[in-house]
Amino acid sequence: MNSFKPAIIRNLRITMTLALSLAIAPCTLAQDDMQDAQIELSFNEEEKTITAKVADTAGVPAEAVELYFYVKRTFSNLPIGDVFNETDEDGEVSVQFPADLPGDKDGNVEIMVKLMDSDQFNDQTLTLSRRWGVPTEWDPGDEKRSLWAAAANAPIPLVIITSSLIVIIWYVICYILYSLYRMSKIKPNHS
Amino acid sequence: MTETKQGFKTKREKELLGYLVGSTIRYKIWIGILLFFIILGLIGYYRQLKFGLVVTAMRDYTSWGIYISNFVFFVAVSLVGSLFSSILKLNKNEWAYPLARISEIIAVSAIICAAVIIIVDMGRPDRFFYVLKYMRIQSPIIWDVIIISTYLVISLILLHISLIPDLALCRDRLKNIPKWRHKLYKMLALNWSNHPKQRQLLAKITKIMAISVLPVAFAIHTITSWLFATTWRPGWDSTNLGPYFVSGAFMVGAAVIIFAMFFIRRSLYLKDYITDIHFDKMSKLLVLLSLVYLYFNINEYLGPSFKMVGVEGEHIIELFVGEYAPMYWFVQIGGLILPIILLTIPKMRKPLPVTIISVLVILGAWFKRFLIVIPSLQHPYLPIQDVDESYRHYIPTWEEWTITISSFAWFLFIITILIRWLPVIPVDKKSEFEISA
Repeated sequence: MNSFKPAIIRNLRITMTLALSLAIAPCTLAQDDMQDAQIELSFNEEEKTITAKVADTAGVPAEAVELYFYVKRTFSNLPIGDVFNETDEDGEVSVQFPADLPGDKDGNVEIMVKLMDSDQFNDQTLTLSRRWGVPTEWDPGDEKRSLWAAAANAPIPLVIITSSLIVIIWYVICYILYSLYRMSKIKPNHS
Repeated sequence: MTETKQGFKTKREKELLGYLVGSTIRYKIWIGILLFFIILGLIGYYRQLKFGLVVTAMRDYTSWGIYISNFVFFVAVSLVGSLFSSILKLNKNEWAYPLARISEIIAVSAIICAAVIIIVDMGRPDRFFYVLKYMRIQSPIIWDVIIISTYLVISLILLHISLIPDLALCRDRLKNIPKWRHKLYKMLALNWSNHPKQRQLLAKITKIMAISVLPVAFAIHTITSWLFATTWRPGWDSTNLGPYFVSGAFMVGAAVIIFAMFFIRRSLYLKDYITDIHFDKMSKLLVLLSLVYLYFNINEYLGPSFKMVGVEGEHIIELFVGEYAPMYWFVQIGGLILPIILLTIPKMRKPLPVTIISVLVILGAWFKRFLIVIPSLQHPYLPIQDVDESYRHYIPTWEEWTITISSFAWFLFIITILIRWLPVIPVDKKSEFEISA
């Protein structure tokens, strides 16, 4: 991991220290020991890798801390990297960003790094935008008539078939109702 | 007895219209039991409305639970109306004429319950009209909404037209009844006077309805099957699903009729009209329909179990030897194969044995719908990562059970009320034959 760490390429270094403080009085000893981690994210623009460095409040690298990397999608967050991404002895862990993920029209994607359920640190989430996605143009006006289109763009044959069937069967129902009405108007035969 | 004050002219009229007047303690207890379960269901539904669908066991995997399997069951039962009013009538099966009205009453009740259950399954029932307002004709759900409303109207018309001559008799003969009921009979009898022109017109209407109900009945259950077949899930991804659903529907419909025949003939003292011959014929019909359904079952399971591909294979294992195996084998053996074998024995076609066998068929049919809906949902082709373990299992909550049991109470309640107010066997035998023919 350290091999590509020197600034051979344009490195973006972001340090975010969360200023979360415990608002409620400590209840247990375990909660007292919890602290906020310092997470540093660096991005290798050429290789599209994300490196996270975790340290405790004193700046000592934290080893074996599990981080979760996600890319924000329309409905949920897409996990990237390995199943488990643990920091090494330098407190670092790197993941590869997939080359084929669609982004917005400029290729922007939102990358999330989460620290969750740690015994040592409080939960944290860092979100940053990178232009690493495949630019995707979406013009709703271009929507063609299809089964998955909006109501106004239903396939014409489908509209014709379903409408015809509905008209035929409801014509029969209306005819029956009319016949019943006619039947009710027949005067009794007293003879 | 209030019967003596009525204007019955024949013994048949007295026997078939007499029970419409007054009520017995047994009837009141029965209604009380049904109302108890209905109220229990309303409590469950109140909680569902208040807290949302979170009170059910439905989650991201099993998003269709027993509400939908119950819906499919009721749609299946509703097909029985077309079996008698169309198939048997057009084929001039005279033995089935006295049973046609029972089948139509059951069809009406079943389709009302099916329509209501769909709304119960909605998290926000107040948004039901959005389905119509923003409807997309591409969606099979919309096809289902359209066909269910159409079939409901057709079922009501079928029931009504078969009743018209008898409603006129109720209007003319029943004297000691509340005014509102007399008005209702008068209104529904449509000025029926047995005029030759009226008989001619009614015969024509009956024939048109007998022909037109058949494609609609086939459509209603085929479209219900398409709700599944058009969704890419193991067990649903099949071209067999339409006929598989329709044949299963006719089978359960016949079983429900036998069950109803047994209790109607006992409670209304109609042993002279619903005879052992009817039970014998219905048993044979049930065997035939069960054999057809067995054929489609073999088709449905043989292919996937022979190939055992991926998730489809997991689904088959779950059914054959997994979590759902006891239910699956009860459905196939207890609800399908055993009834076929037993009903080939003449003694088993007597009223009591065939009614017990019909209960097995009905239970099998209900659990069959459960097996169609739930296990498939628990094996998605695109599973959720790190899914919560609870999503992989589905055990309905008490709210779901009370609502479901209450739907059956509603089903029986509607049938009971209709039977109590309407002549369940055609009074004018000759007229019924003539009109139907």
